Amino acid sequence: MDNRPSRHLLVRIRSSRCEPPGQRRLPKREIGGARVRIGLLTEGGYPYVSGEAGLWCDRLVRGLEQHEFDVYALSRTEREEAEGWVPLPPQVGRVRTAPLWETTDDGAVHGRRARRRFAECYGELATALCTAAPGGPAGSPEGLAEGQSALEADRFANALYGLAELARDEGGLPAALRSETAVRALERACRAPGAHRSAREARVPDLLTVAARLERALRPLSLDWYEDDDLGSVDLCHAASGGTAALPGLLARHFCDVPLLVTEYGVRLRAHYLTEPDSSPAIRSLLASFHGRLAAETYRRAAVITPGNTHARRWQERCGADRAKLRTVHPGMDAAPFAEAGESPECADPRTLVWVGRVEPAKDLVSLLHAFAEIRRAEPAARLRIVGSPFGTEGAAYLAHCKGLAAQLFPDEADGPHAVGRNPVSFEETGGPELPTRADAYASGALVVLSSVVEGFPSGLVEAMFCGRATVSTDVGAVVEAIGGTGLVVPPRNPRALAEACVALLRDPERRERLGAAARARALELFTVEQNITAFHSIYLEILSRTPVRRVVLDDTGAPLPFAVPAEAHVPGRWSDPTARIAARGGPSPGPSPSPGPGAVRSGPGWATDGPVRAAAPVSATEGAAR
Amino acid sequence: MSGIGELDRPETPRSPGAWDERSRTCLTDGGHGTDAAPTAGDAGAAASSLGTEMDEGGEGVRSAEDRQYAKDRQYAKDRLHAEDRRHTDHSDRIGGSRAADGRDDRADRGDDERDGAGRVDGPRESGIRTGGIREGGLREGGGREDGGREGGAAGGEARDVRQSPSASTARRAAADPVKGLLHRHRDLCERAVDPLEIAAGLEAHGVTDRTAARFRHRDVFSLAEEMYARVPRDGDTPARPDETPTPRPRTAGVLLALLPGVLCAATVAVLHLTEGRPRLIAAAVGLLAVTLALGAALRRGPLSASTRTTSTWTCWLVGYALLGDGLLRNAVTGGPDGLPDGTADGPWPVTVAPVLALALSYAPAVGCAHLFAAGARRKLSSSRGLADFSASVRPLLLGTFALYLGALAALLALTGAVLGEPAAHPQTLTLGALLLLARLLTVHGHAHASTLVLTTTAAVEAAALATLFAGRLPGCGFLTAPVEALVAVCGPAGVPTAACGIGALTLLIHASRRLTRASAHASTERTR
Repeated sequence: MDNRPSRHLLVRIRSSRCEPPGQRRLPKREIGGARVRIGLLTEGGYPYVSGEAGLWCDRLVRGLEQHEFDVYALSRTEREEAEGWVPLPPQVGRVRTAPLWETTDDGAVHGRRARRRFAECYGELATALCTAAPGGPAGSPEGLAEGQSALEADRFANALYGLAELARDEGGLPAALRSETAVRALERACRAPGAHRSAREARVPDLLTVAARLERALRPLSLDWYEDDDLGSVDLCHAASGGTAALPGLLARHFCDVPLLVTEYGVRLRAHYLTEPDSSPAIRSLLASFHGRLAAETYRRAAVITPGNTHARRWQERCGADRAKLRTVHPGMDAAPFAEAGESPECADPRTLVWVGRVEPAKDLVSLLHAFAEIRRAEPAARLRIVGSPFGTEGAAYLAHCKGLAAQLFPDEADGPHAVGRNPVSFEETGGPELPTRADAYASGALVVLSSVVEGFPSGLVEAMFCGRATVSTDVGAVVEAIGGTGLVVPPRNPRALAEACVALLRDPERRERLGAAARARALELFTVEQNITAFHSIYLEILSRTPVRRVVLDDTGAPLPFAVPAEAHVPGRWSDPTARIAARGGPSPGPSPSPGPGAVRSGPGWATDGPVRAAAPVSATEGAAR
Repeated sequence: MSGIGELDRPETPRSPGAWDERSRTCLTDGGHGTDAAPTAGDAGAAASSLGTEMDEGGEGVRSAEDRQYAKDRQYAKDRLHAEDRRHTDHSDRIGGSRAADGRDDRADRGDDERDGAGRVDGPRESGIRTGGIREGGLREGGGREDGGREGGAAGGEARDVRQSPSASTARRAAADPVKGLLHRHRDLCERAVDPLEIAAGLEAHGVTDRTAARFRHRDVFSLAEEMYARVPRDGDTPARPDETPTPRPRTAGVLLALLPGVLCAATVAVLHLTEGRPRLIAAAVGLLAVTLALGAALRRGPLSASTRTTSTWTCWLVGYALLGDGLLRNAVTGGPDGLPDGTADGPWPVTVAPVLALALSYAPAVGCAHLFAAGARRKLSSSRGLADFSASVRPLLLGTFALYLGALAALLALTGAVLGEPAAHPQTLTLGALLLLARLLTVHGHAHASTLVLTTTAAVEAAALATLFAGRLPGCGFLTAPVEALVAVCGPAGVPTAACGIGALTLLIHASRRLTRASAHASTERTR
């Protein structure tokens, strides 16, 4: 029991509400459901306007208004923080932020014992990073190697939690992580026998860079979020991405036994490989090892892992995720703008092919134009609309190139000797009077074509599916996963196959209609926002039922109080008088709790809060929220 | 949807097309030993022997390259001695994941059945190379998938052989398909630190599990493992990219460094030319200008520190250099009898020469700091270890320090000669050394020690003056004894020399331990 006064790194806490407390609307309750208090952990994400996965988190938070969300956000850049937050719905209880970009220093200076403790933990961490088995952090699963890799994983985890405990007890971790001790420990680990080949080549600048990057990645360890009235008081932590964002969740699980749910649309380790091709081998190797081990530890501790697509899932399995914990939750997209187009398939021009997207070389429009030349040979009346704006200067050059190619391949043609001719291939952009939205673009054609050579999750294809259009796409990225059997798939860079598939569909309106309907049904089942929210809702409830946070409430003498937190604590609805109800909702008391044991925080329903522990006056929701 | 998976979106492919000229020539050049152009029959036989290893299936056309491939493959097997195990492992895994994905998969399969024929129609009729894969690869239900895929691939090749003019190329590619891929992604493979990096790079270039099936691999990961194992790695480290050039001192920076000295010299000149009230105004304006210029100069360049600094104590120390000696001398003899009038021969003499020398020496100080930083950065990239770095930086630190002292001594002599004052070498040199070392330590992130030493030194000087005046109180005469003894031995310069000298020595010892560490020279970047 640690009752020492807190000397932790103080994090600036902004006012957490965007609307005055008086206007706060009471959350809706669902009969038979449970109220879950979720700690949403983001990195460079949700509450910030320019956050990457902001839209997804915003939809999730707004969709689950029967639950409570506490947002714990790490900001990546100063600009991001300066741009501010998105408006927050009332179910967001509190927002705590911490910057990852600033070099912070809490001024705490370690004594000799703390220094030795740090050197031990950091040395272990460095050794675990340097002795990665060649073949990835998961390694080749073989008898001896498996035991070895489990040992290494344990070593990494112990070092990580050791550092976190040191930061909790003594503070001063950021300075220590940048200190000479840390660099020396890294050097020793790199030169030790058994170190990875690229790690052995590490030179002094590499060591310094790695130390600085590790310091940044480990910054969540020094935050004061793991107290009983912060992450200790939530029912589960939901990390919106892996990597550094999941680190607070790991620590909350370590310190307060809060279950962790990890959602990943892209695996952090893979992003590391792709974003750092130019660093030196030692840096890449050590940091890859760190990300791999952190991912493995996250997956090991997480209650449920939800990859966003099969691709992420494969990487997670590769990084050591237990298959039993994996549940693919597809990203949700807003189907409403495409509903009109989807319900009126007859308004499409049966001879028109549509391509919609961002114009860039990866989309391989050249191959599409060649394919269209073949289509024209079979179906002279066919037309192609290319809708999209160029992306970057490269995209603009590519667009110009494609326009030139189209003019070369297809001369303008007119209906008769007195009509003005036009080109069968048209390049357009949405937003004009003819094509106000993307939905109109999809709706204008009978067939949607995708000719990319590389693709992540094909959101354009899913939009076409929402519109109920038959599609022909290339077999890249997650296309097959998205389309299932509801569209034709051809190999990439194969104009002839693309042309034949398109001609087959152009000549068969009935099949086109059937495929379109099937695609729309599939998209509405798998890729809507509602599906996404429902999936997370049930996962929350499942986690809550399987791994409830058991909190022990202590009475005045320090003995555990039986039945202090009854099962009804999670039942929504009003059980008693208004003041007590607010106390139940507002969570822990903000003032100094009379007996601040590690668990005496979860307030029960009103009648349970009158116990000897809840001596503090009923907390108003405002206070509870604005802390 | 916009933000989701933005990082996950693969990058634009940089390599040319799947079958570019380079790969083709490479493959054709590599196989001069092929004795007979393979016929469709051979390939058909290969296609019919489903589930057998390719090496066995292609018995009839075992060329030199085939043997080479077998050797390579054996090498790969040796390196990854868990190959077979992993294969069985993978089939289990895929079966399992399918079961776990039940709902989704059922939906897919239902759709497949509804539209299956249409889906494979086009490719099959056109005899496209991957037609076979689509057929064989997507319809499997676990078990011996490899065989099915290989057979399918070979079947595709067989059809291709009949139509394609470069039949032999295709055939040899079938014997060692990974070789072409290795050639195309040679950079990626040589650079990679582990197989996963190759896997990530391959995926970014559009290689999927279905493409990997063409190379007889279960998934991209196992393909990447083979590529990682097959790329020769000699012990040579790749040529390191040149370090970023150290920032050259710019004209603006040089001018800014010279500004305090120039302003101070101008002030001194004006002081000499004026009398009475205008001199007072000139002194005040000059003081303000020099202070502002110093503040502006310290905000940029190699002497700029990110942390807060102790300008108060620095000002006190410089002020003592200006007024302290005169005050001390007067205090010992019972003065002072009047306020300082800006001359060296008044009732409270002002020593302007040391302060002017210090102000002028700001530019050499900036130069020395720049030399030290640039040298340390160079040593950082050239040294092999941390101990090596410390050993090579220590002489650099001492050298730049001595250089600054030399410059300061020369400036002192010059200003003394110009102003006609006796050169106050000891106390000014120690003060300059103290200030430079304190600033260097602050710049490199050890502000604590420098603040402590500066504060102590200033306090000692203040205490020396205070004891002299306190000694005039009745009964406190004993307080003046130590200072008077020191003044008797060394003159009034002894007090600041002793205080600053001890401080500078402390800081020098501290700096030679702290500033020679690599962590003191880590660049602290900030993400905007």
